Amino acid sequence: MFRDFVALACAALVGSFADAAPNVQRVARQVDQLLAEELFDDSTDLAPPVDDATFLRRVWLDVVGDIPSPEHTTAFLLEPSPDKRNRVIRDLLASEQYGQNWARYWRDVILSRRIEDRAVIVSNPLVTMLTEELNRGTGWDEVAQKFITATGDVREDGATAILMAQDGVTEDSTAEFSRIFLGIQIQCAQCHDHPYDRWKREQFHELAAFFPRTAVRPVNSATKRSFQVIANNGRDVRRGNNNNLNRRGAAEHYMPDLDDPSAIGERMQPKFFLTGAQLPIGTRDAQRREAVAEWMTESPWFATAYVNRMWAELVGEGFYEPVDDMGPDRTPNGAKAVEYLSQEFAASGYDPKWLMRVILSTEAYGRECRPRRLPDEPAFTANVAQPLRGDQLFNSLLTTLELDEATIRSMVTGGGGRVYGGQTSPRDGFNVAFGFDPSAPRETITSSIPQSLAMMNQPQINRSLSAGSWRRPTSLGKLIASVEDDDMLTSELFLRTLCREPTDEELEQVHTYAKSVDNRTETYEDLLWSLINSTEYAYRK
Amino acid sequence: MLYRLQHHIRATANRHGITSRRDFLRAVGVAGAAVGAVSWTDAIALAADDLRKRNKACILLWMAGGPSQFETFSPKPDHANGGETKAISTAVSGIQIAENLPRVADVMDEIAIIRSMTSKEGSHPRASFYMHHGYLPMGGVKFPTLGSNVAHQIGDAACELPSFVRIGGRGQGSGNAGFLGVDYDPLILQNADRPPANSEPTTSRDRYTRRLGLLQSLDNDFAAAEGTDLVHDHRKLVDAASEMILSPKMEAFDIERESSAMRDAYGRTNFGSSCLMARRLIERGVTFVEVNVGGWDTHDNNFERVANLTGQIDQPMAQLIADLRQRGMLDDTLVVWMGEFGRTPKINGRNGRDHYPRAFNVALAGGGVRGGQVIGETNAAGTDVTERPVQVKDLFASIYTLLGIDPSHENMSLIGRPIQLVDEGEAVEELWS
Repeated sequence: MFRDFVALACAALVGSFADAAPNVQRVARQVDQLLAEELFDDSTDLAPPVDDATFLRRVWLDVVGDIPSPEHTTAFLLEPSPDKRNRVIRDLLASEQYGQNWARYWRDVILSRRIEDRAVIVSNPLVTMLTEELNRGTGWDEVAQKFITATGDVREDGATAILMAQDGVTEDSTAEFSRIFLGIQIQCAQCHDHPYDRWKREQFHELAAFFPRTAVRPVNSATKRSFQVIANNGRDVRRGNNNNLNRRGAAEHYMPDLDDPSAIGERMQPKFFLTGAQLPIGTRDAQRREAVAEWMTESPWFATAYVNRMWAELVGEGFYEPVDDMGPDRTPNGAKAVEYLSQEFAASGYDPKWLMRVILSTEAYGRECRPRRLPDEPAFTANVAQPLRGDQLFNSLLTTLELDEATIRSMVTGGGGRVYGGQTSPRDGFNVAFGFDPSAPRETITSSIPQSLAMMNQPQINRSLSAGSWRRPTSLGKLIASVEDDDMLTSELFLRTLCREPTDEELEQVHTYAKSVDNRTETYEDLLWSLINSTEYAYRK
Repeated sequence: MLYRLQHHIRATANRHGITSRRDFLRAVGVAGAAVGAVSWTDAIALAADDLRKRNKACILLWMAGGPSQFETFSPKPDHANGGETKAISTAVSGIQIAENLPRVADVMDEIAIIRSMTSKEGSHPRASFYMHHGYLPMGGVKFPTLGSNVAHQIGDAACELPSFVRIGGRGQGSGNAGFLGVDYDPLILQNADRPPANSEPTTSRDRYTRRLGLLQSLDNDFAAAEGTDLVHDHRKLVDAASEMILSPKMEAFDIERESSAMRDAYGRTNFGSSCLMARRLIERGVTFVEVNVGGWDTHDNNFERVANLTGQIDQPMAQLIADLRQRGMLDDTLVVWMGEFGRTPKINGRNGRDHYPRAFNVALAGGGVRGGQVIGETNAAGTDVTERPVQVKDLFASIYTLLGIDPSHENMSLIGRPIQLVDEGEAVEELWS
């Protein structure tokens, strides 16, 4: 059935959208084909394609980080067009929320690993900058170059975020650029030759040698407190210790002498470990960073790192796991597929929207979820349910409860003073309690009792879960008053939370419950509470 | 069901959302009455030793901002750098501390002072991170904080309370469970006078239980196929969270259950209540309690400001040590007093002291520490350590050793690299020998 639908969709696409995305469907089919050749055989038990309702909630959460309203879901389910899945993907990618959702994702990637807590001040500028670039369709290579070459006040330019998060420390910034943009954790070679990979200690420090002149300095004026990324192109005057270089910068990078940590160490020439391309000692900061930014983004690992990460987010498992620990010495699942998709991504001009559209069009994406596979089972036979990120859960609650972000009070306050953006907005507070590092393997992300308690007992959420008073009903109160048919009301609440109709069995469960409670208002308050606290609500399946 | 109740992440009191303490007590009271636990408080106090007989416990008194060594445990009344602060005698002849801590001086026989702490880290976030983790921050590795490591090593999995509680955690760099995972994150109390956030059901107990039943049955569908494993974990969590808040043990968080005399003995201040709460929690099976006091960053007006701060900590700290001793808990409870660094010997133009990591002090008591001793020394000006320098890693090795934990124990970090609790530190054996 799904295959027929895809065939139709392809036909429609070729006709009407050939110009916009000539090769999206072709590349998607080819990826599926390569995966099938490499990983599946006749005995492979592939999960069936998802139904429309599940697809819609999945694609909403994945692209715009929110759940569809009951109106969206109903309209989608009733829409006869065979091209409706592609249409909704295009619409969502064209909406402002797409860029915002993924900008917040990258904010979590970058700031979860911050070594300087005050780096949260770069959070809002970072989200603003990335939202704009992603919505505009800027190539990922260009975005990466902005991050690597950024200078200036961190409150004014979100591209300073990685340097700010690492406090301008040469080694740590180097490690993060490599991890985030190349998916290679060369910093393990910082102190010794890499235990599992081919990288040598010198190679890490040669990469670090592109960044010694870059520093992060506090800005304390009468009117503001901030930080700025600066370049130090002064003479190579090296004092005896390495203290405080992150604030001042240094002309050249020195690899510490392991036998004598107090010695100055060995001066390193900037050299890119993947190609051997190098710059002379004495090169100015701007030229160093521009060169390494170009060399990094030209590398095949650059394309693969992005493709792998996006695939992992959308299909539930990366070709390489963990997503940010790849490299020539690791064996991926679906080696040909990831290589092919990476090449096509590079050929698209590293276009993030194009890539997302391809992945969302694959059969691998469109399969039903199953529990995470065992190691000896083939990869990509099913999608894998993902826990919602803090922003996704927050948006979902706002949508379900019809709350306005601008007017609500804080739902969950954080651990104090270290929330994104400095000021505690309700979203920031919620993120402190519910956010996680998106680079960590998703199965290691566990929820906690305080999260559970917040969802179950948090007063603001619970006020919205009650019917309210006769004079001031909540949105639930209005529904209970206006929808007389019990099953209709049950359906409405399922649509508002899980974006699907209840099954017959679930309707029956609600009937039984209603009888035992014998109070219509309480029954539906309890139902909404239970739905919001259900496992299904907390995941994108 | 004895699910491991160490799942505590930083959900803290909601500013707008706390129902009254009376409601909290009512909810807990009902639960207590339900299991016939009217005299339960007494029972638990008696049983506390049994509840945690294998393990030691630790209370960290964290002085955020960097407390001045000259105005606390290392006065220099005979040198200009000592400023106006005088020294007083203590319960141990030959040991003098600053006049600001007269009550602490009375329990000096339980306290060991290290006057020769030395480090290179002079910025708040890095130094605070260092003194909480024993490691400097490093991209790619999420080090667990001291309390999380201790909870992980010796926390009591059978106790329904969290292993690690942090009271008033506003400091920078204090950290969390890192790669150990949320099981060992601190449960944060904004202050000792309020229960943990969202720990009170918003409906009656009956209705709450009823709702849980409906939630269970609604999850069946998802559990049947795609989400078997997820529903399993989610249910465990909902059960554990519900059990905790419906448990009579929640009374541990109710400081009002302490007698009026006891509250007076600790002093009715934030820090007093926090120290009392720390003792209460340790008594009931919590393994690590971190109590935070800020304001020690005295770049100006140092003497007046520190006198104010020491005024806040003197009585509660002394009472905590005396109370633990009186209850027979001191031998198994290590109390550590420290901040991220010390203050400059030279008094600056605003009568303040700036950051100084080169020579500072920490104080330890209980948990096997031989009290009544001073370890290490600085020169007359207080500018340099002249005897027995103690590095931050040495201090961490000492704390772990005192708690019966092997400092060279290796944990596997998320990136597959083994990380020792302490990297190359050497325990300060004088502390207990």
